[in-house]
Amino acid sequence: MLGFSNQSIANFLFWVTRKKWLITTFIVSLYLFYIPTPEGLSSEGHRTLIIAITTLILIVSESIQLPAIAILILIMEVILGIDSPDGVASSFMSDAVFFIMGSLMLAVAIVHQGWDKRIALGIIKITGNKTQNIIFGFLLISAIMASFIGEHTVAAIMLPIAISLVRYTSSDKKKVKNLASVLLFSIAYGALIGSVGTPSGGGRNVIMLGYLKDSNLFISYLEWMIQVYPFILVQIPIVSWILIKSFPPEYIHLDTSVRKLVVQVAKSASITRSNIIAGLIFLLVFLGWIFFSETFGLGTIALIGVFLFLVAGYVEWDYLSKHTHWGVILLFGSTISLGSNIKSTGAAEWLADIIVNFMGNIFESFPFIGDTVIIIMTTTMANVLSSSATVAVLGPITMNMGENTLQLGLITAIASAFGYFTAIAAPACTIIYSSGLVSAKDFLKVGWKVGLISIGLLVLYKNTYWALFN
Amino acid sequence: MKILIAISSREYSGQTLSAGMMVSKSFKASTTIVDVGEKINQFSIKEVDMVQERMDSWDIDRPGVDVLEWAFEYLAKKELIKTHAIEAGFPKNTLIETSGRRSEVFLEGTFCEDVNLILRNGDIIEELKNEVQNYGYDVTIIGGSGKRGMSHDLTQYINSSIFVVNNYKSNEDYRLLLAVDNSPGTRKAVKYGVRIAQAFDIEVDIVTVSKTDEFKDEYKSAVNWASKFLRRSNIKHQTIFLKGNPSELIAKEAGDNHIIVMGSSKRNPLKTFFQGNKPLKVLENSQCPILIVK
Repeated sequence: MLGFSNQSIANFLFWVTRKKWLITTFIVSLYLFYIPTPEGLSSEGHRTLIIAITTLILIVSESIQLPAIAILILIMEVILGIDSPDGVASSFMSDAVFFIMGSLMLAVAIVHQGWDKRIALGIIKITGNKTQNIIFGFLLISAIMASFIGEHTVAAIMLPIAISLVRYTSSDKKKVKNLASVLLFSIAYGALIGSVGTPSGGGRNVIMLGYLKDSNLFISYLEWMIQVYPFILVQIPIVSWILIKSFPPEYIHLDTSVRKLVVQVAKSASITRSNIIAGLIFLLVFLGWIFFSETFGLGTIALIGVFLFLVAGYVEWDYLSKHTHWGVILLFGSTISLGSNIKSTGAAEWLADIIVNFMGNIFESFPFIGDTVIIIMTTTMANVLSSSATVAVLGPITMNMGENTLQLGLITAIASAFGYFTAIAAPACTIIYSSGLVSAKDFLKVGWKVGLISIGLLVLYKNTYWALFN
Repeated sequence: MKILIAISSREYSGQTLSAGMMVSKSFKASTTIVDVGEKINQFSIKEVDMVQERMDSWDIDRPGVDVLEWAFEYLAKKELIKTHAIEAGFPKNTLIETSGRRSEVFLEGTFCEDVNLILRNGDIIEELKNEVQNYGYDVTIIGGSGKRGMSHDLTQYINSSIFVVNNYKSNEDYRLLLAVDNSPGTRKAVKYGVRIAQAFDIEVDIVTVSKTDEFKDEYKSAVNWASKFLRRSNIKHQTIFLKGNPSELIAKEAGDNHIIVMGSSKRNPLKTFFQGNKPLKVLENSQCPILIVK
C-alpha cells in the first residue's frame, strides 16, 4: 500500500493504538482552542486552561515521556502567546524548583551513605520484636523522617529493612503476605503522612509556600510545623490501627527474623567518620531550613547541602546525576510556570468562582463543606496525577475558593499527600509497589479507609485546631 | 532459529515454559526466556532504581529474579542446560543490565548453544515487540491465561510467528490441527507443524475449510502438499474437508484437545485493524494452544 510494507503499516497502527491518548489530547485541545472564550474568562486564561487540560490528560495517560510534557507546556505557553519567551523562562525557575532539584539530589546523597542498616538497628532497639510495635515503629519513624527529608528518601531507606524482616520470617511469600503488606504500607503511608509536616517534607509544600508568598502571605518553617505537625501526630496511631486491622499479620512476634536482621546489620553497622560528617551536613541543612529559609529560601539551602556532599566527596557527580530525575525537575518547573500563569491570567479565579457559584450558599453557610470539596478535589487529582503537579496546577484555584487563603493553601498541600488509593500517587507508593509484594488491589483495599478517615480528620482539624489561630 | 518464551510467574507460567521448551527443543532453537515486570510510573522510575540498588546491598533480589530462578530450576531439572551451569547454580550475580529496562543472564544450553534469561520492565506488549524487533526472534511463545487482548495485539503487531499456549495441559492427549488453504504462509505452517508434531509426538489432522460448496483446486493441492510432507516425515495424519465459516469451524474442530497450527494472514494491516483476519478470529474463538506462523 503506497509503497509501505505491511510491517511498516502494522508498526504505524501499533503506534496509533499506543498513542491514542496523545491523539485524543491533540483533538481535544484543537476543539477547545476554537470554541469561543467563556464569559468572564480572558483570552489568555482560556489558552492557559487548554494547556492545563492537555497536560493533565498527558500525565495521567502516560502517553508520552514526562520531559516531553514539560517541554510541551513551555512551548505552548510561548506559542499561544500567554507570556513572552523570557517571561516563560523566568516563571519556570523558582526557589521551589531549586528545592525539588536540591532535595532529589540530597536524597540520592543520603541514601548513598547506607544509613539504612543503622536505622534498622535503631528501630529494632526501640520497638522490640512484637509485630504490632514494629508496625507502629515503622509508621512513626517513616513519618518523622519524611517530614524533614522527603518521602522517597524514607521509602528508599526503609524498604530493604522491611523486606529483610519479611524474608527472615518466611521464604514462602504466601505465609507472610499480610506481614509484608502491613510493613510496606506502614512505610509508604507513614512517609506520605509525614511529608506534609514541614515545608522540606516535599516539593509540593515549597510550591505552596511560593504561591502563598505571591499572595503576600508569609509562613516560616516553624510556623508551618506548628500549624501542620499535630495533624500528622493524630493520623499516625489511627492509620497504624487501620493497617493492622486490614492486614492482620500472620505472626504476633518476629523473634527469629529480628535476631537475624540484627546479626546481618551488625556486620556493617559501625559508624565511620564519613558517616558522622555526612550526618552533620544534613543537620546543617536542616538547621538552615528552620532558621534561614525565609532569607535564603529552602531551595538554596538544599543546594548548599548538595554542594557540601560533593565537596566532601561523599557522592560522585556521575552517580548523583545518574540517579537524579531531571525529567521530574523539568516537569515541576513547567507545571509551576503553568500554575503561575493560571493565576496571573485570571483563570484560577474564574474556575474558583464557577465551583463556588455552583455550590451556591452552601459554601458560606457551611464552611466545612467547602473544605471537604477542596480536599476531595485535591485528593482525587493527587491519586491520578502526582502530588506536586496537583498542588502546582490546583493550588492557585483552591486558594481562591474562600476567605482564608492561607488555610485553603495549607489544606490543599496536606490533601495532596492523601495519595493512598493508587501506586502512582507518590514515589513512596510506587517504591513499595515495585517490590512486587503488594498489588494495586491492596492499595484500594486499605487506601479508601485511610483516605476517608484522613479527609474527615482534616476537615475536623481545620475547623477546630486552626480555628484557634483565627 | 531463535525463540522467545514470555513467562510471568511460577503459578501461571508452568505450562507456557514446558510447552515452549518442547517447541524450542524441536527446532534446536536458541532460546530466550523473558519475564516482563510491572511498568514503573514515570515519576518515580529513578527512585525505584535507587531503591533496587540499595536492595542489592542487602542481598535482596529485585522483582522478577525469583521468576528467572524458577525458570533456571526448570531448565536444570530437564537438563536443558550444561551440567557445569547446573552445578554452579542460578548465576544471578551475572545478570547484566543491557539497557535501562533490560537485564540478561547467559546460560550454555544442551540442545542449542545458549539459553538466555532476561528481565524487562514496562508495558508487556511494547516490551515483547521491542525485544522481537531488536533481537530478531522467529517465534514468540506466550501464555494464554493473561489478558485476551494481549495475544490478539501481539499477533497483530509482532514481527514473528506466535505460539499462544492457551489452556495447555501436559497430560492431555493432544492432536495437531494443521489448517491449510491457498495463502502463501501455508507451506511454512506445514513445516512448523511437522516439527511440533514430532516434538510432542502427536498425530495430525490436516483441515481445510471452504466458504462455498466447492473446494478450490488451490485448497486441494495445499492439502495434498501437506499430506505428502507429513508422510515423508513419518507422521500419522488424516485430512478433513469442512464447509462454512473457517474461523469458527477451525476453532470448533480443534476443541480443547488440539494444538492448532496455521499460517498468518497476508491481509493488509489496515483492513486487519478494522475487520480482523482469519488467524485472529480463530485465536479469539479457540480454547486450545495455537501457533500462527509468519
